[in-house]
Amino acid sequence: MEYQSQAVAKYYFTAAIGLFVGQILFGLIIGLQYVVGDFLFPEIPFNVARMVHTNLLIVWLLFGFMGAAYYLIPEEAERELYSPALAILMFWIFLVAGALTILGYLLVPYSTLADLTMNELWPTMGREFLEQPTITKLGIVVVALAFVFNVGMTVLQGRKTVINLVLMIGLVGLAVFFLFAFHNPSDLVQDKFWWWWTVHLWVEGVWELILGSILAFVLIKTTGVDREVIEKWLYIIIAMTLITGIIGTGHHYYWIGTPEYWQWWGSIFSAMEPIPFFMMTVFAFTMVNKRKRDHPNKVAVLWALGTGVMAFLGAGVWGFLHTLAPVNYFTHGTQITAAHGHMAFYGAYVMVVLAIISYAMPIIRGRAANSNKAQVMEMWSFWLMTVSIVFITLFLTAAGILQTWLQRISDTPMTFMAAQDQIAIFYWMREFAGVVFLIGLIVYIMSFFVSEEDEMNA
Amino acid sequence: MTETIQKKLPGDFAIWIFIYAELMVFAIFFISYAVTRSNHVELFNESQQLLNRTAGMANTVALITSSWFVVNAVHAIKAGRELLSARWLGGALVMGGLFLAIKIFEFYTKSVEGITLSTNTFYMFYLSLTFFHFLHVVLGMVILSVVLINMRKGKYSAHETTGVETGASYWHMVDLVWIILFPLIYLIR
Amino acid sequence: MDEMFTKSMARNIFYGGTVFFFLLFLALTFDTMGVVPSRDNHENLTPTVIAGKTLWEENNCIGCHTLLGEGAYFAPELGNVYVRFGNSTEAIKGFIKSRPKDGIPGRRSMPQFNFTDEELEQLAQFLKYTSEINTSNWPPNIMG
Repeated sequence: MEYQSQAVAKYYFTAAIGLFVGQILFGLIIGLQYVVGDFLFPEIPFNVARMVHTNLLIVWLLFGFMGAAYYLIPEEAERELYSPALAILMFWIFLVAGALTILGYLLVPYSTLADLTMNELWPTMGREFLEQPTITKLGIVVVALAFVFNVGMTVLQGRKTVINLVLMIGLVGLAVFFLFAFHNPSDLVQDKFWWWWTVHLWVEGVWELILGSILAFVLIKTTGVDREVIEKWLYIIIAMTLITGIIGTGHHYYWIGTPEYWQWWGSIFSAMEPIPFFMMTVFAFTMVNKRKRDHPNKVAVLWALGTGVMAFLGAGVWGFLHTLAPVNYFTHGTQITAAHGHMAFYGAYVMVVLAIISYAMPIIRGRAANSNKAQVMEMWSFWLMTVSIVFITLFLTAAGILQTWLQRISDTPMTFMAAQDQIAIFYWMREFAGVVFLIGLIVYIMSFFVSEEDEMNA
Repeated sequence: MTETIQKKLPGDFAIWIFIYAELMVFAIFFISYAVTRSNHVELFNESQQLLNRTAGMANTVALITSSWFVVNAVHAIKAGRELLSARWLGGALVMGGLFLAIKIFEFYTKSVEGITLSTNTFYMFYLSLTFFHFLHVVLGMVILSVVLINMRKGKYSAHETTGVETGASYWHMVDLVWIILFPLIYLIR
Repeated sequence: MDEMFTKSMARNIFYGGTVFFFLLFLALTFDTMGVVPSRDNHENLTPTVIAGKTLWEENNCIGCHTLLGEGAYFAPELGNVYVRFGNSTEAIKGFIKSRPKDGIPGRRSMPQFNFTDEELEQLAQFLKYTSEINTSNWPPNIMG
């Protein structure tokens, strides 16, 4: 580790992994509720468990992004972090606020939480992924601003590289587009329209800049390829991301009361959204093939390559599958969407955070890479989790195709619940794949505790 | 290998990635137009009658002329004649400005008639495509202006023509798209 | 391939392309804001409906249901439930009211929210309002 202050990333990475476990446990609960409808009812109804599942995902990815930034920005800027103390303070504030919010979801009915947090003063709750009480949202803004200030000052006073510049643009964008979470018009169409300015412009916009810069950093460090080359690729990839992704927002504006021309604009531009992901895959593999050295941390390279492939499959291919308006007309709001969501989030964001953790954690813990044994174990976890997410996606896709057929296309359409009963087998298989995922995650965590007798020093 | 490709594609390759992407968008848009038209021939023909073909024709001439000016600008800089090259670029910008003026007039008359993207499918395509292209002309002019400013600063010479070629490539793309767009939307029925 | 282009050009395309397409997006957003009032059924956005939307949010209905296709996929689409229930707000209210407190053994069940009659009316009116938004004929059929 070149700069002492990079060590603050360890807090963030540890919290991220801890919350990741929580996310998966609640994923298994809701997966089971799909087939055993009364499981934990009425103590933890589906909506609560799902909210915990998705909110934990968002929060732990944010922890991961922040950890990544705290690790790589000092190294890129070639100076200590502006204020490590602020970083640690914000860590605890974010963790406590996040934990209180999750406990709030679990311990009291959601409407009671809305009352307790005085949602009526500024109603922002109860919209998908933005369920947090308004006070929590304000807390997120404070943490985000302090964080952006902290890393921003570090960059301003240090070396400016493409990687830390792009990361900064992504992080500032993340903070800016979150502000739309506070805009909740009574008009449902308006509400939905602006809601996507946070949700879409995050995951198919600024988050991809964060993803790109983290991936580029890991590749520079592990392959030793010229910074100049990697930075060029980074620019081109994120250029294509935003060129396709901004207007690509239109693929959410087909059926929510917005004008019909979005069916054309949205289809055409989102049909091109796989291109940057494909470039990212080519980029990752080209850089590894051109590598100037064999970094001892092989598993970090594996995660980086995995990010390229799985982001392309999940976000690119599975996104394209149902993005064209004539297809989306039938698949909108079915398990197809869920299938895409699972692989896209895992492939793009989970994997890139695990890649930077895999690269940075050994260094923070004082070694270039983990022992061979630990790395092999982590590789096992890579394959267990990746293969099971592929199966989760395939099973949900099958469920979604059948659902679409039974409920929306067949001459004798079934009701929603009747169709759900017909596809239960796929939910069972998905749940089974989910259990394998959890095993993969447990193996992943165990890999941190492998003793370092045959430690490799580079 | 690299050299032969560079000979084929003038300017910086990065602009070509952008050009390919843009051409792909326009191509999909054009194909969508053609397919949709075949399903609504009457509606399309009816609405098409109401377009200002004289304005469209004038704009075609304006863009082709400006493209020719840009070609001359590239030739001039390759011959090391910076001042001449700058003049041709200036001429191209004037023609681009003329295009914008005519196009704004067209948009204005349509908007006075109360025509919007939501009027009907034909006008959805007409306005989407021409407005999208309009923005490209604006962007192309911004790029040419930057090239012109750099030229004035003496950044280009007979040995350093990449910047001029890059800008020219983009401008030709904008022209090419119009050459397809104009007959497709204004004329063919 | 990367020998053929320069970093500064790649950077210019990133900044230029982003600004260009964001401005285009703003232009389309501006147009959308002009068209939405003719499709969004805002003339029926009464205080009752607005109260219903708040109830919808404060009980996290989106955590199980989809509304115009957005939300969770655990329970039926509600954007057209008013139509599916025979254009009847009474049927919607009756359904919500009749949910068993302890669920249905082995099956998915909506929780019992113990709404007052006034609240039930507000929710039902909100769902009626939603069903009258012009969604370009989505969903494909009455099943949602």
